Amino acid sequence: MLQYLVRRVALTIPVIFGILVISFLLTHLSGDPTDLILPPDVTEEARDAFRKRHGLDQPIWVQFISFCTQALQGNFGDSLRFHEPALKLVMDRMAATTELALAAMALTLIVGVPAGVIAAYWRNTPVDLSVRGTTLIGQAMPSFYLGILSIIIFAVWLRWLPTGGRGTWWHLVLPAATLSFQLVALIARVTRSCMLDVLGQDYIRTARAKGLGEMKVVWLHGLRNAFIPVLTVIGLQVGFLMGGVVVTETVFSWPGVGRLAIQAIYARDFPVVQAIVFLFALIFVIVNLIVDIFYAVLDPRISYR
Amino acid sequence: MFSKMRRVTAAAALLAALALPASADTLTIAQNFDPQTLWPNGTTASDNLNAGSAMVESLFWQDPRVNEIRPLLATGFEMESPTSVIVKLREGITFTNGEPMNADAVVHSVNIFIDKEQTPAYAQVAQAFSGAEKVDDLTVRITLHDSYPPLALALSQIYVVPPNYWNEMGLEAYGQKPVGTGPFKFVEWVRDDKLVMERNEDYWGDLPEGIDGLIWRPVPDDAARVAGLTTGEYQVAKDLPVTAIPGLENEPEIKLVPVPSYRIYQIGLSSLPQHESPLQNKLVRQALNYAVDKEAIINSLFFGKAEPLNGQVLRKSQLGFNPDLQDYPYDPEKAKAMLAEAGYPDGFTIPFKFPSGRYAQDREVSEAVAGMLSKVGVKTEMIALEPGEFLRQLRSKELAPMYFVGLAPQDDPAFQASQYVSTWRYTPIANEEIDALAEAGAKEMDVEKRRKIYQDMMALMHEEAPIIFLYDGIDVYGTDARLQNFLPRGDGRMFFYDVSYGQ
Repeated sequence: MLQYLVRRVALTIPVIFGILVISFLLTHLSGDPTDLILPPDVTEEARDAFRKRHGLDQPIWVQFISFCTQALQGNFGDSLRFHEPALKLVMDRMAATTELALAAMALTLIVGVPAGVIAAYWRNTPVDLSVRGTTLIGQAMPSFYLGILSIIIFAVWLRWLPTGGRGTWWHLVLPAATLSFQLVALIARVTRSCMLDVLGQDYIRTARAKGLGEMKVVWLHGLRNAFIPVLTVIGLQVGFLMGGVVVTETVFSWPGVGRLAIQAIYARDFPVVQAIVFLFALIFVIVNLIVDIFYAVLDPRISYR
Repeated sequence: MFSKMRRVTAAAALLAALALPASADTLTIAQNFDPQTLWPNGTTASDNLNAGSAMVESLFWQDPRVNEIRPLLATGFEMESPTSVIVKLREGITFTNGEPMNADAVVHSVNIFIDKEQTPAYAQVAQAFSGAEKVDDLTVRITLHDSYPPLALALSQIYVVPPNYWNEMGLEAYGQKPVGTGPFKFVEWVRDDKLVMERNEDYWGDLPEGIDGLIWRPVPDDAARVAGLTTGEYQVAKDLPVTAIPGLENEPEIKLVPVPSYRIYQIGLSSLPQHESPLQNKLVRQALNYAVDKEAIINSLFFGKAEPLNGQVLRKSQLGFNPDLQDYPYDPEKAKAMLAEAGYPDGFTIPFKFPSGRYAQDREVSEAVAGMLSKVGVKTEMIALEPGEFLRQLRSKELAPMYFVGLAPQDDPAFQASQYVSTWRYTPIANEEIDALAEAGAKEMDVEKRRKIYQDMMALMHEEAPIIFLYDGIDVYGTDARLQNFLPRGDGRMFFYDVSYGQ
């Protein structure tokens, strides 16, 4: 197990490095940020001074080498717009994003998994059909649209919830629901199909035959066996969640990393974009590592040697 | 699942009604962006300046309600010579940290303003100044390189900071927690979430009545700003989308404040020698002006919330506006005839570049223009550009021969005029007469002579048609109906001097 862990962690290093290279190249090939950051009527001298201050006048390979050496020390450089360390700007906003992502993930698990189990158990009944119908809509609806729709319904018409911002628990409800909606749909569908497989297995019949109650059969024996593919999907969807916060945070004025990402991309604030890509990639890799470890916990047949 | 969500939200509803802040006398203002710095001279972005200048004040300010430059920390200025100006300061003002606002503070602030390294965003204006010195405690002499007609406008952009605090904090840290002389002072700033200010009880002037404090919130989504304004979460919302205006007009608790923008929208028609195209011919450029129905664009794409240009780039309120000029009327037949006369009886095909997502309705306007041009035989190859790439191409003159752009120079005809001078980095035209007029206007200190120069220049530009004259944008702000005397400026700036809130 330990050996496996060490190997997995070692493998993440080239992955992260590859991501750094790609993000560096993509941002720097997209053009010069000077024109976006300084107003158009600024003199050429001031522009050159700006480029010089941020090292943008250097050849791209020189910039790359200094970027790599700094990134190795956890320094992504100063933001071109905020003149503060990029990593600090990102970390300052991480709490808000984590809060939102965890709430969305919790909502996904609390709603999505039971919905899938129920739909599978009562397959082809009106219950199943309504779950499947709702999840189809959920997967088809883009989240920016869903976000605005929910603001109009719950904040403007009903006046139940605030339109945006962060503060009380009530501020969390709409963004978390919006962010999780597509995931709930996906998880419900995956859970349903896995449960359908499992419920037809011999060991379920055995469990029933030995007199276990339906609750135990379905939730303990059934769900536990159906959960591994669900877990895989959840691990992979962390990436989706990271992308989702970009839209959700913008619509709901949520002061998190996703919104910072959007602004940084529009302004070509390279250091900030790179710091965000790095952190998101790191989170993705770590979550999936944890998912792999969970496999062994859930299914004793899986072991890592 | 829907039923679950409804139950959750229904439970939330009861408490939410109680939990929402009933912001009694604190105004919450929704802008598009969170400031990067609260030091006003750190940037020219209006969202930054609006928040920063509520705390840090300038020598003068341009009041949009009377359209003139009024004294603020200064009491007035007087020309000693064409290149030297004496600025008198208001007596007895202190910064909120106790430092005195005096000649030392002003000299210190002017020196920062002039330094390109520290204020790159103001370099175009600052290059007119050469230095500042203290005459006595309340008098400062500021020297210029040359006579400079927009001097008052330039002085209105110098913000005064307390020297000791500034030296102690440094430029970046000052911008995070500024100290000034303004009607409000800094309380707390949670990045991307809220910036809180309370009123400065020791303010030297009249405080805005009924306003205890300000909370600035960045709300990037247009629809979300409208929603928050409707629910009363925001008392001021900046840059409302035109599409939301018809729905808000009938809300009794909301007041819409339309402000003609400094931004002049136009189709650049390059006749620069290096850009070979039919646009080299003046007749063709005029014909394209006849071929575009400006009024239809204003009415259908902006619900009337845009102003016609009257065939010139200066606005009615500006010095040098030429009242004899009118928009090219919409006359496709005449356009066709002129194109035929110019040697293009069957029209021609031309590339047409425009930004997508930089200006309100930019893609829609460009498509409308392209459609109108096709009716007179001019086919456009439309090329949409991401805003960053668009700006790069604008500055490197790669948008030519034809492009949609909205330019918002500062509010003096010199800045507007300079954009069509042959040496300007994104001019569409090189014309000696235009150059001569712009140069004369930039130096002329006599107001009436100066007016005449720019009127002549507008007439010449109308004739030469280096652009298709489209429209002047209108920025629409939404406020709580109880906010009185609030009028933002055409450059997105809002102020709270003489504003009141309440019944």
